[in-house]
Amino acid sequence: MKMTPLAVIVGSLLILATIVFVVVILPFAHTSKTVPSDIFRVRTAEESAGRATYIANGCVYCHSQSVRTIDWDLGAERIAQAGDYVADYPILLGSQRTGPDISQAGGEHPDDWHMAHFINPRYTRTLSLMPPFEFLGPAKLDNLIRYVQSLGFKDADKRMTRQRYWKAEAVKAYEAGPDANVAWLSAHIPQGWRDVPNPYPTSAAGLARGHKIYQDFCLGCHGPVGDGMGPAQQWIYPPPLNFTILKNREISGGILYYQIMNGITGTAMPYFKRDLESEKIWDVGNYVAVYFINDSDANTEPRGIDAAYEP
Amino acid sequence: MTAETKEIPASYATAKAFCLTSAFWMMVATFYGLLGATELIAPDLTANIGGIVFGRVRPTHINLVLFGFVTPGLLGAAFFFIPRLLGTPLYSERLGVFTALAWNAALVALVATLAMGLTQGREYAELIWPIDVAVVLVFALTFFNFTMTVARRQEKILYVSVWYVLAGCILTACTYALGNVIWRPNSGALVGIPDAILLWFYGHNVFGLLLTPLSAGVTYYVIPRATRAPLYSHTLSLLGFWSLIVVYTHIGTHHLLQVPVPTWLKVVAIVDSVAMVIPVMAFLINIWYTAKGKLGEIHADVGAKFVFTGTIMYFFVSIQGSFMALPDVQRVTHFNNWVVAHAHIGVLGFAGMIALGGIYFTIPKMTGRPLFSRFLADFQYWMVLIGMVGFTIVLTIAGLIQGNAWLNGETVYRVLPQIHVYYVTRAGLGLLIFTSALLGFYNIVRSLLPQRGAMP
Repeated sequence: MKMTPLAVIVGSLLILATIVFVVVILPFAHTSKTVPSDIFRVRTAEESAGRATYIANGCVYCHSQSVRTIDWDLGAERIAQAGDYVADYPILLGSQRTGPDISQAGGEHPDDWHMAHFINPRYTRTLSLMPPFEFLGPAKLDNLIRYVQSLGFKDADKRMTRQRYWKAEAVKAYEAGPDANVAWLSAHIPQGWRDVPNPYPTSAAGLARGHKIYQDFCLGCHGPVGDGMGPAQQWIYPPPLNFTILKNREISGGILYYQIMNGITGTAMPYFKRDLESEKIWDVGNYVAVYFINDSDANTEPRGIDAAYEP
Repeated sequence: MTAETKEIPASYATAKAFCLTSAFWMMVATFYGLLGATELIAPDLTANIGGIVFGRVRPTHINLVLFGFVTPGLLGAAFFFIPRLLGTPLYSERLGVFTALAWNAALVALVATLAMGLTQGREYAELIWPIDVAVVLVFALTFFNFTMTVARRQEKILYVSVWYVLAGCILTACTYALGNVIWRPNSGALVGIPDAILLWFYGHNVFGLLLTPLSAGVTYYVIPRATRAPLYSHTLSLLGFWSLIVVYTHIGTHHLLQVPVPTWLKVVAIVDSVAMVIPVMAFLINIWYTAKGKLGEIHADVGAKFVFTGTIMYFFVSIQGSFMALPDVQRVTHFNNWVVAHAHIGVLGFAGMIALGGIYFTIPKMTGRPLFSRFLADFQYWMVLIGMVGFTIVLTIAGLIQGNAWLNGETVYRVLPQIHVYYVTRAGLGLLIFTSALLGFYNIVRSLLPQRGAMP
């Protein structure tokens, strides 16, 4: 084959044009007719402004917005559908998960948790490597939070309605004083859980594990000494629980376990069941009971048959 | 066919300008990489300095590496060898120098706009419309300059390096304009899934139709010249060239295998990703057989050494890329640092190495003097090689930890402490690469300046 300038230039352009037709124009012909999915709704002005801030600060480089069938983390309740993206301009699928996928993050946390987290992500998540975004200022942060809370569209709206309802309840309980607050908190735990003591004995190793989990997951809000004065505290209302008030207020290992596992929707207390397996939750609960409440029911009756590993 | 060259009276001002451009922006680009790597291990170090928040640093690093360091480096060599291979001076050195200046202006604008948060938010297509236009323009001007040189050529036969450079410039001008949706100045995007398909069609073409053809062009020039050997096979040159353009352009959707895009498009992307073995091996066999038994000559020339190492990295990154397009592999590798490692083998180990090699190989021929310091160039070679291989090792390990942990049901947050040590190592290796860029810049500037005393 004789490679003349014409052959090189026209030949490669013709090939490119053909392939553009096959891999860009043909798929466009039907992907551009995608109908909105069942959860889709139009974004509000604030949410769109927040999305612009999200783009300007390159959030897309660390957060994907595309949940896969193989995922377990945030948003795993809903696998991405083409119809979720019909208003995304540009689309923000992302290519890295330096942080979690946030396509369904709306309503996972209340607004005040997000504010503390944006001011400094380590206030709520001590191991986070996300940059602080305080420099954006309150107006942009508010819009950014509106955007994040809209992720998941109608599903997010349902979760936000739930957050707002329980936020009002939690504030009422907090403002009624410690007795009423603790009673309110415990009242929403199924009776079975309330009756369960921590079934495992307190051990130095278990406390050390609990200490480690506490530092990695709890310290930002509840503080190093469990008095609820962690760095996130000033942004959060009702404020993080001061564990020392739980003394003599009938807190069982089961109550602590349930609250850590399930979180307290409406407050900044997230659920940890995706982050922590059973043993880690029992250990950190016992750490809190031993060090901050000074009242652990570990290994008391009813505790069932002792687990095989116990000395 | 041989890479015969003719001595021609020329100042090589354009080639020198592009070499300097590359050397300078390699420093800035690798600094941004080092900065980003540091922010991942110490996120409060640069707290609340909006202009260098990680999400603005990362696209700056990537765009500068692509359009500031690697592409100008490859073009620097091309502006030298195209006239030599055609036996005629460059059509217009003035136009070439103007192109280089415009290129630098666009790079300054790139850094400034991304720091200000002015971005279109699409990976590899972040730049706002005025810069997009400038990028298309500089590629078009480069193409025009080369084409006019071809039109005035004294040598009848077009050598394979010329094919690659011509095609690389014109195809990039086209896919860049298309991928950046240049007809929509305000957004530079389509809506929804079509945007993702177009973006990754373009995103992969940055490698397939820009870095790879230009690198192949430089390699086809440097290796036969350094070994003083005729090219092994004209047929393989033809096969490698045409199959590259046909196959590489099909595979962008392998970035979207886990996304709701049409299944047939995924199948096309996977099949062609595997078929990438054809252009890759056609090129590599051709180069490696040309160099067969002549590794001593390659080792003796530091530029050729960079280039030859680049071809080995091309082998690894391409074979890895074919495997990564398989859905079962991607279950583990997608969304994590495995891909970052892959990108560094490709852009630093392959195209970056060849860009540096092209610069070091051609500068002595432009100036008629040896390099200012062969030692420094060799030292930079080892720094880049160790840094890049180190990146690959630690980021691949981190990626495997992430991917397998996620498959096992662990959250992203839980895995952060496990990969921290690899992030720290990566930043250390980044310091190595950044330092090598400083040495390289010094060496290249001193090599181009009229010399007063040279180092060994």
